[in-house]
Amino acid sequence: MATSSETLVTTAGNAQADSDYMHYVEGVGHVPRDIYKHVLSDPLGDLPRYSIHIVIQHFLIFITFITLAATGLPLHFGDLFWAPIILAPLGGPDSARIIHRISAGIMIVAALYHFITIAIGTYSKLKKHKFNLLHSQIPTLKDLNDIKHDIRYFLGKEQYRPKMGKFMYKQKLHYLAIIWGTFVMIVAGSTLLFPEAMAKFWPNPEFAQDLARLMHADEAIMASAVVVFWHWSNVHLVPGRFPLQWTFLTGRITREHQIEEHFLEYIDKLKDDPKEKEYLISVLKEKGYKTEGGEV
Amino acid sequence: MSLKRAARLYIVGFIFIVLNFYPSKNLFSADVGNCLLCHKYPGLSRIDEQGKMKLLYVNEDIFNISVHLKVKCEGCHTDIKKIPHDPVNKVDCLVECHIVEPSSEQKFSHKDVDNYVKKSVHAALDKYGMPKKFKEDLPTCKNCHDEPLYRPLSFFKQVRPGISEAALGRCRVCHKKEDFIIRFYNHVTTRLHRTRNPINIAEVCARCHDDPLLVERHNLGTRAVFSYGETFHGKAARFLDERVPDCLDCHVNTGESVHQMLSHKDSAAITYRENKYLACSNIECHPGTSQQFASYKVHAEFNLDQSPVQYYFTLFFIILTGGTLLPLMAIIFLDLIRRLFPDAVIPRRR
Ligand code: HEC
Ligand code: HEC
Ligand code: HEC
Ligand code: HEC
Ligand code: HEC
Ligand code: HEC
Repeated sequence: MATSSETLVTTAGNAQADSDYMHYVEGVGHVPRDIYKHVLSDPLGDLPRYSIHIVIQHFLIFITFITLAATGLPLHFGDLFWAPIILAPLGGPDSARIIHRISAGIMIVAALYHFITIAIGTYSKLKKHKFNLLHSQIPTLKDLNDIKHDIRYFLGKEQYRPKMGKFMYKQKLHYLAIIWGTFVMIVAGSTLLFPEAMAKFWPNPEFAQDLARLMHADEAIMASAVVVFWHWSNVHLVPGRFPLQWTFLTGRITREHQIEEHFLEYIDKLKDDPKEKEYLISVLKEKGYKTEGGEV
Repeated sequence: MSLKRAARLYIVGFIFIVLNFYPSKNLFSADVGNCLLCHKYPGLSRIDEQGKMKLLYVNEDIFNISVHLKVKCEGCHTDIKKIPHDPVNKVDCLVECHIVEPSSEQKFSHKDVDNYVKKSVHAALDKYGMPKKFKEDLPTCKNCHDEPLYRPLSFFKQVRPGISEAALGRCRVCHKKEDFIIRFYNHVTTRLHRTRNPINIAEVCARCHDDPLLVERHNLGTRAVFSYGETFHGKAARFLDERVPDCLDCHVNTGESVHQMLSHKDSAAITYRENKYLACSNIECHPGTSQQFASYKVHAEFNLDQSPVQYYFTLFFIILTGGTLLPLMAIIFLDLIRRLFPDAVIPRRR
């Protein structure tokens, strides 16, 4: 089978093949990119998105992140009125410190676990020649372009959202931020937790200690802000996903969401999914589009 | 300043008694001159020259459990010779009182303390005997000692403040006079541990050492209490942790008087660059610390003048946070608007 990006090229000359709007899929026909407005979606998710490993990793990070923030921030801002209020149910500052360290340990394990999952997954994809940059978390120029088009769409200057892969620009940015953030927090946190050992490790320990102090707190504030205002808005507040996007537990994404924000992934997966093809054909037919293989 | 604080002392003390923090016991009487005849009335007060109300009430119950309980009122207020009395002078903490120090059998005074202060960085005269610039900024006894902090130790089973009835029971086996027992119990036990929380000590110093003008006048490198609060020590102190070092633990050479603190530029000071690690490696703190470890900042104040790199680093993070979050929020906002009003268009201007 040819790689996906090749088959995605729409066949010119077709009556409906407005190359931007329609997307040709063998055995289905031309799929309009805003078909998501007409498909059925189960809020719990229709199509697979994350493996069980990723779901577990997200869960671990989710729990440890909240715990770390809930213990770390009041310890750092001990002079503010809310600090003791948060710390009291955790058993006061002493036990909050212990909880903070244990959570950090679990987060590091989760990060390693993730790293291994990704490394093995990528390796096996590369081996099978199935690795597709388009569906990876690696940022490309296309993402910049997607941002531009998406903003134009939001402003009403374009009719459709860009066609995006498995991870759209938002997610790539967020993923990078998490990698950077976790790295910074682990390095700074260890510098603070093991002052004597790290004094031997860093070339300029005095300076490293200062930076670690600043970084650990500043990065924590930044990460918390991004998670609360950005990540939670994305997965909770967006109409259609309110009050909760279940992907983080089910590992599945709704059909509507996938077609809208990850169109290329949908099309790509469609080719190997006869049941989904059948379903899509029925929707297309209902909406009066021409289809192929229409013995449904 | 000290008057106002003294008034606060008595008011705070009064509240303590009302809350029945300490049992009110009428154990001793220093009131030979019958001062309390008038001063026992809680309403006794006057408006001073600055227009502030000055409370002249003395709570006898508190006075009687204070360190000075054996000192007669006139022992400190030496200028009062007759009753009713004339306006009084300020008390000199260094007067000799009628108390006799038992080991030397000399009349007692705090002159020794003053000698320590004179040798310390807080001395009003510099090492050539010349008055320091802005010597009015230097602390006197009353600047530092305006809080009644008298926290007897109870370590019969657990370390916790308060008089341990169980321990007193032991004294009663041999000693018969209740006031003797309690007085000496307090006398000794208050000195066996910290009488104040690290944060309380810091507060004593804060009124000068967090005053940016004073810091600048005396060319000090940092607002010391603020910068202490920026470190793990200060943060823990704020949670009333007593295991962390307070100002005295680091600035007082082991075994010397707390009144003899030296400048960190003085090579005899424990805070001197080469000596610092000795303070850190105290057996109760970080035994066996290295010089590198001791180089970590214990007064972490990252301002533009002293630590430009750290300062810009913080700024970078602020900009990074704002710079990522705001555009991201803008995108979310636009996305949301588009979802809520799918057909909205921006009207074109001509
Ligand atoms: C006859 C009542 C009376 C007696 C007895 C008395 N005082 Fe006073 N005392 C006063 C009054 C009234 C004032 C307020 C004076 C004023 O406002 O000028 C005062 C003020 C003071 C002040 C504060 C002065 C100031 O404004 O700072 C001190 C200190 C003081 N008394 C100490 C004593 C001592 C010590 C004794 C015992 C030796 C004593 N007094 C006995 C009535 C008395
Ligand atoms: C250890 C010394 C000492 C003893 C003993 C002592 N005082 Fe004072 N008293 C002071 C000091 C210090 C001040 C603060 C004013 C000053 O600096 O002169 C003060 C202030 C006062 C004031 C004025 C309160 C104010 O706010 O200015 C009164 C009234 C007073 N004392 C009464 C008494 C009485 C009554 C007794 C005996 C029960 C007594 N004092 C015992 C040291 C002492
Ligand atoms: C720089 C502030 C400062 C100054 C100035 C100061 N002290 Fe102190 N003093 C302290 C501190 C802090 C302590 C220890 C308190 C503790 O450990 O709880 C102390 C303790 C004492 C003690 C108790 C010692 C003991 O072991 O019980 C006496 C007595 C004393 N000071 C007297 C004086 C006298 C008298 C003066 C004036 C000559 C004076 N102080 C000046 C800060 C000061
Ligand atoms: C086993 C009996 C016993 C117990 C218990 C005891 N003492 Fe004593 N204490 C003595 C004797 C006997 C002396 C006289 C010793 C001497 O002069 O060498 C003394 C002396 C003292 C002195 C010195 C008095 C002076 O004027 O020289 C003080 C203060 C004192 N005790 C306080 C206490 C306190 C406080 C406790 C309780 C924590 C206590 N003692 C428990 C027997 C005891
Ligand atoms: C952990 C030990 C430690 C503690 C606690 C501590 N200091 Fe210091 N302090 C130092 C050392 C060491 C220095 C010498 C300068 C340096 O190395 O940063 C210093 C310097 C100072 C200076 C001079 C700053 C300058 O650069 O001119 C002042 C003033 C000072 N401390 C006051 C305080 C006060 C007030 C507190 C209590 C709130 C306090 N310190 C608590 C260790 C400590
Ligand atoms: C009344 C104001 C005042 C109070 C209260 C005070 N200080 Fe100071 N302190 C000063 C001044 C002024 C200097 C500068 C002395 C000089 O310039 O020689 C100083 C200097 C110092 C230094 C030396 C700084 C250096 O150069 O290394 C230390 C350490 C210090 N103080 C500690 C303390 C501590 C600890 C306390 C609280 C127990 C305290 N001070 C309370 C006014 C105060």
